[in-house]
Amino acid sequence: MKTRTDIKNIEWLSSLRKALAWSYRKLSSIETSVWLLSLLAISFMVGTIFPQGGDFDEYVKEGGRFVLLVEAFDLLAFFSSPLFLAIALLFVLNLVICTCERYKALFAKRRFPESFAPTKSFLVTQDAIRAHDETRRILNDSLGFRLVDKDSAWIVMEKGLPYRWLTWAYHAGLVVCLIGVLFTFLFAFEDTITLKTGSPQTVIPTTTGRVQYIWQNGSPQTDYHLLLDSFTTEYEESHELDYPDDRKARLAMGLGWKMPEHKMSVDPLFATDWKAKLKIIGGSSTLAEKEIEINEPLKYGGYTFYLMGFEQRLKLRVNDSFMPLDAKADDDVIIPGSMIALSLGTLRTGKAKRLDGTIDELTPYVTVKDSASKDEPAILKLNDSIIVDGNIVTLIGFTEQAILSYRYDPGVTILWIGGIIALVALFLRLYGSYYLLAYKVDDADAIVTVNFNITSKGLLASPEHIENRIEELLTAGDLKPLALPEQT
Amino acid sequence: MSYDVILSRDSFLLSVELRIFWAIALIYGASLLLHLVHIASRGALAGRAAYLLLWAAAVPHAGLILLRTFEAGRAPFQTLYESLSWFACSAVLTWLFVSRKWKGFFLPGALVSALALGASLYALLSRSPAIEPLSPPLQSWWFESHVILAFFSYAVFIVSASIEISWLAFRKRSDLYGLPEEQLKGFHDTAHRLILFGFPLLTFGIFSGAAWANEAWGRYWSWDPKETWSLITWTVFAVYLHSKTVPALKGTPASVFNILGFICMLMTFLGVNWLAKLLGIPSLHIYSV
Ligand code: HEM
Repeated sequence: MKTRTDIKNIEWLSSLRKALAWSYRKLSSIETSVWLLSLLAISFMVGTIFPQGGDFDEYVKEGGRFVLLVEAFDLLAFFSSPLFLAIALLFVLNLVICTCERYKALFAKRRFPESFAPTKSFLVTQDAIRAHDETRRILNDSLGFRLVDKDSAWIVMEKGLPYRWLTWAYHAGLVVCLIGVLFTFLFAFEDTITLKTGSPQTVIPTTTGRVQYIWQNGSPQTDYHLLLDSFTTEYEESHELDYPDDRKARLAMGLGWKMPEHKMSVDPLFATDWKAKLKIIGGSSTLAEKEIEINEPLKYGGYTFYLMGFEQRLKLRVNDSFMPLDAKADDDVIIPGSMIALSLGTLRTGKAKRLDGTIDELTPYVTVKDSASKDEPAILKLNDSIIVDGNIVTLIGFTEQAILSYRYDPGVTILWIGGIIALVALFLRLYGSYYLLAYKVDDADAIVTVNFNITSKGLLASPEHIENRIEELLTAGDLKPLALPEQT
Repeated sequence: MSYDVILSRDSFLLSVELRIFWAIALIYGASLLLHLVHIASRGALAGRAAYLLLWAAAVPHAGLILLRTFEAGRAPFQTLYESLSWFACSAVLTWLFVSRKWKGFFLPGALVSALALGASLYALLSRSPAIEPLSPPLQSWWFESHVILAFFSYAVFIVSASIEISWLAFRKRSDLYGLPEEQLKGFHDTAHRLILFGFPLLTFGIFSGAAWANEAWGRYWSWDPKETWSLITWTVFAVYLHSKTVPALKGTPASVFNILGFICMLMTFLGVNWLAKLLGIPSLHIYSV
């Protein structure tokens, strides 16, 4: 005897099963992916409209117009908000389920229609058996078609890249990419470190990824040191274009009434490269070394070290003072005993490629100007002096420090593997060629016709070319084909 | 060579470049006008003249870009002035290449010439044509491959959208404009084939951009506005390609998705700078601003 509770439980279970089956069906459909991809696109737009990482109070203070929406949907940190993550999760489920379903389909027996609408038909002079054999020989031997199905009246053959596998492979590649992104989301972290030439430092990250904190309290200190061996900069000299802001003047140049003019500025050097020679030291031996620059990081022990920038400190002597004045390049400095704030430029040191192609080693120099004046800056070379408000200011030395950022991200390799699979398969699938050909020989009242149905995939496929080749090859044999008018 | 000689040589070369570029912009403008006359009058002569003017502008335009490439000694995409010039020229050349199948059908050229004119005028009136040295982050193999393929996909998307819009607007009267009804389907299919061609290029563009960001800044994705808009464009074109395989969506809805993808592409290329400025969102892609 079933009690009322049992019956209720059974009903509840059966509706749960139905709901799950319905969800699975929906999530394996390509229509659902159209809607989910559209929702994702809209979510990304939301993320660009509202400044991500912005402060909510600031947003309110600045008179933001969508305060309620911003608060309700966490629009200032939208890409980690529950709403976005829910949409992303549904999409991932959709992609994974579709990929699994289609994987099964790759091994299932392919079904073809009982009958095909001919795209090309030929009247031939030989009997049906000869016509059949000859057609098959041509398709097999001369055109390289493979037999797929010969069980029904229409013989089905194919040729070209395995497009179903390729379609599956780029969707699977995308799944792998998403796994990489998930790894990044869960485990990646980054920090910065400033290195002074000749002083080794240990890497002690102050953060961990989103989940490591569960089993470790902060990231462990590395058992090696980082050493900045040397730091170099390279420059290229460039001229300045004196180009008018006014549109009419620009048009006048187009009409040849006015000439554009180039000129040299006081400091015409443009930093084209900065490089840090970095060593990884363990105990007393060098474990790795590399000259890193932007686009050329050093990878070691799971970390990647990037050169983000550099900081220069200048030693200035004011009059005969024993204590040099320490100043930061690209910043303002107050000269003691004066009311003037000096505006310093970046220190130029290293090699410079001149406009005429020659390369020379620079005498280190920095540009200086009274920060309140609009005059052109002056050049202060190493061991040279300038007079500021009656004070003699001499550049007596400088130091350079490299600013590195370092990152631990186990998702990157997975992402690259997935990306390469997806890209290669996508290019092959969309550009390569694939043909599915079905043919049937009809013999009615001793009139023999060979009917073809050719469909193709891929941009390089040309069914017309295949049809023409078939006609040529049939003509070269003894079938004497006569192409019938196209049936629409 | 003395500095004076170098300075006057570069000023002379730039003055020649500017005059030719203005002349090219003028021809794009004339082509647009003739396209409009063609639309209004259905006269084949105006259409043909508009088409020939596109040839007359695009060939010297390609030469001009080549000249700048030699002058600067690098790919001509560093500044927005250069990118806009490339954008105009590549879109027109792609249309001229694709249109060879429909010798007497000129309608899509209207949008293409309008965009070429707009991009050229924007470059000439609002951007500086100075040739600048490559900054360190741009000195990467990834920069060239990333930008070349992304821009190539843009050209393809423009032409696809032009075909799509012509098809939506004139499909019932296409024979009046020189396209017989039996060619209409083949013509419209070209819009789909172009997206199939451009989509992997855009995918590679985004992927190589991520690889480059990973090498240069240590993070392959930062939700930078330009990155995000390229992802939006990619997603909308994925929506388009999928809707082409769904019977209920493969008609007008798919066409609408294609045009939306094109609008998103314009946002990625230009609108994002404007949006970022408007909303005060900083962008890592400052070189292109
Ligand atoms: C970011 C995600 C996705 C991208 C970039 C993508 C890309 C593509 C592309 C380029 C095509 C080829 C269209 C054509 O042959 O004309 C395609 C086809 C297809 N996609 Fe996706 N797709 C994605 C997600 C999905 C998802 C979530 C599903 C789940 C239903 C799915 C299922 C399919 C199916 C069934 C086809 C048709 C394949 C065929 O014609 O053989 N895709 N996809």
